[in-house]
Amino acid sequence: MNPVTSIILRQMRAPLIVIVTVFSIAILGMVLIPGVDDQGQVWRMDFFHALYFVSFTATTIGFGEIPYPLTDAQRLWALITIFFSVFGWFYAISKIVSLIQTPLFKKAVIHSNFKHSLSQINKKFYLICGYGETGQDLVNRLVKKAINCVVIDNNQHAIEELEVQDYIFYVPGLEADATTPSQLEYAGLSHPLCKGVIAITNSDSCNLKIAITAKLLHPETPVICRSEHTDFEENMRSFNTDHTVNPYDTFAHNFAMAMKSSSLHLLNEWLTGVPDTSLDRPITFSEGHWILCGYGRLGQRIYKTLRENHHSVTIIDTVAELRDEFYRNNPGDDTQFIIGTGTDVATLKQAGVVDAVGLIAGSNNDSNNLSAIMTAQMYNADLVVVARQNEMMNKQLFQASLADIIMHPSEIVARRIRTLLTNPLLIDFLEECYKQSNEWINITISRLSGAISEVKPHCWTSRLTKTGSPAVFEALSKGRKIALKHLLKSPIQRQEMIYCLPLMLVRNNQKFLLPNNDFAVHADDQILFCGISQAEHHISQCLHDMHTLNYVMSLKNSPDSLLGRYLRGNTKQKRRNND
Amino acid sequence: MNLEKVIFSFFMILALTLNFGFFYGDVHNPDHHNIYELYAVIVINLIATILKFGDRSQLGAMLLATSLVANVQLISAAVVWAVASHMQAAGVTEATMATIVSLSGGAVLANIISVILLVLESSYLRH
Repeated sequence: MNPVTSIILRQMRAPLIVIVTVFSIAILGMVLIPGVDDQGQVWRMDFFHALYFVSFTATTIGFGEIPYPLTDAQRLWALITIFFSVFGWFYAISKIVSLIQTPLFKKAVIHSNFKHSLSQINKKFYLICGYGETGQDLVNRLVKKAINCVVIDNNQHAIEELEVQDYIFYVPGLEADATTPSQLEYAGLSHPLCKGVIAITNSDSCNLKIAITAKLLHPETPVICRSEHTDFEENMRSFNTDHTVNPYDTFAHNFAMAMKSSSLHLLNEWLTGVPDTSLDRPITFSEGHWILCGYGRLGQRIYKTLRENHHSVTIIDTVAELRDEFYRNNPGDDTQFIIGTGTDVATLKQAGVVDAVGLIAGSNNDSNNLSAIMTAQMYNADLVVVARQNEMMNKQLFQASLADIIMHPSEIVARRIRTLLTNPLLIDFLEECYKQSNEWINITISRLSGAISEVKPHCWTSRLTKTGSPAVFEALSKGRKIALKHLLKSPIQRQEMIYCLPLMLVRNNQKFLLPNNDFAVHADDQILFCGISQAEHHISQCLHDMHTLNYVMSLKNSPDSLLGRYLRGNTKQKRRNND
Repeated sequence: MNLEKVIFSFFMILALTLNFGFFYGDVHNPDHHNIYELYAVIVINLIATILKFGDRSQLGAMLLATSLVANVQLISAAVVWAVASHMQAAGVTEATMATIVSLSGGAVLANIISVILLVLESSYLRH
């Protein structure tokens, strides 16, 4: 039995017994007390009439003295009936109302609703542990890609936030502690459609516990973990966690990309960013002096990248132990290490802000970062500014600060996981680009800007498998030759090309970067496309529908219906006979 | 001794005994079957049903089911009686009385099953 129904029934025992007792005594009294009919004869109500009378009296409907006017003795009993039965109703109603308000009951209702919505899911889903900034961002993107999610968070406000979000389909949320194995199982870990567990709480130890639970109970379920500390990350990797995402490592890698080539940075931003938002401006890094405010997890990684690219650096941090450790680890390094916050003019001037080319505001305090940026820009307007944004609510402030690169850990984790889940080929593609020469990257970015409009493109992977693209698969298995240029023709007007660029084609682990339009596709190829928002839809029409494919390849359509095929077969037969 | 168990068993056994008392006698003869007794059986049966609400065990579900069966039988007997005495010109005939009594006989059977289950449960707990 449903626990909610069970609770209601158990709690309603006493009120219902009270009502039944009051009714039965009242009916019995009405039957026993003699009355008088319209002829003055002694008349007793029978059970049928007594039940009728008590029912409308006790429920305060009150039709009157039916069928004959009551005697005084009957009226006295009716009076008693009214008071006791009204008390009985009130008791029952107040019991129900107070029951609904108890936290236990509310919890039972929420859990029962969650269980119901989980049983309604008929598509594969991801179990997302933690609905903070990263979780919200991730769920929002996944839902837009029509991927089901189930959320578990131990914070009541987070789950309430989820309830009021206006997603295009319902995302079940459970308020429970994801580090408890039984709760994680309850939230859908053991559900046959659970496609993966994503641990993105703000605590590394919680994420570790979730990963251990998932891997021990369901070793085949993929697990993606957020981790901000290297030791936790290594721990997670040690038991086959499928992916760990460290926002600082990811950003340091992106920063290294940007240092190598500004086009590569643009490529990364355009392809992994939110589609249909405005394009980022290109940034040029010139040789020179950099100021690094904050030598924590982010600062240390960026310092390494800067030194690898032969820039001189001045570090500013408040903690003296970090300086001592820095000099111990880097003996003979002539880097200046200033103790201070980097928000005041004196420190920044000492660090050489006037002649510097770049500033990295990388502390874990947003006010300090913003203050450092504003002060530095007063003395050097040409600075390239990299800002670390810690809180989501400060987004507008950082945008207004005109920082060139904004590093927001939550956003970086969400973006990385989103790409891993929806488009893993894109990560491979960017890694391949990193290995290419700067000229190649510049050519790529100019081809890309030609193919897309003024906003960031959509990226997707098309698989030329039997289920992924039935029409193309069938045509290929019949021996037809199909080139990429056919797929890129508009299914509405084949003379026009779709605003779309194939970035990479993968065939048996072999990667072909930027395949040209005459490239012949084979069955089971995977193609990474990027293009405007309608392009995905247009290409998928071609992949799925034989008629569209025939149209873009300028071929005649064969009839599909039985009659059509019969008639066509007959005419062919006749022609052959005439020959 | 558990007072709740005493009350629970009291109502279930009382339902059976009253029900049997009404049922016992010549099937056709209205003099053998007291209307007040039927009324008491219905009330006690209702209370016994309510006492069984919300028990999530298998045995609890069985007990609730037997009580509901007894209620359906008894209430239909009462409805037959009311219809016969108020809406039929002939009133409560011998044939109607036989219907009423046989309906209550079904309820006796359901109540016997109820009590057997109760005895089984208590003997099971002894071990």
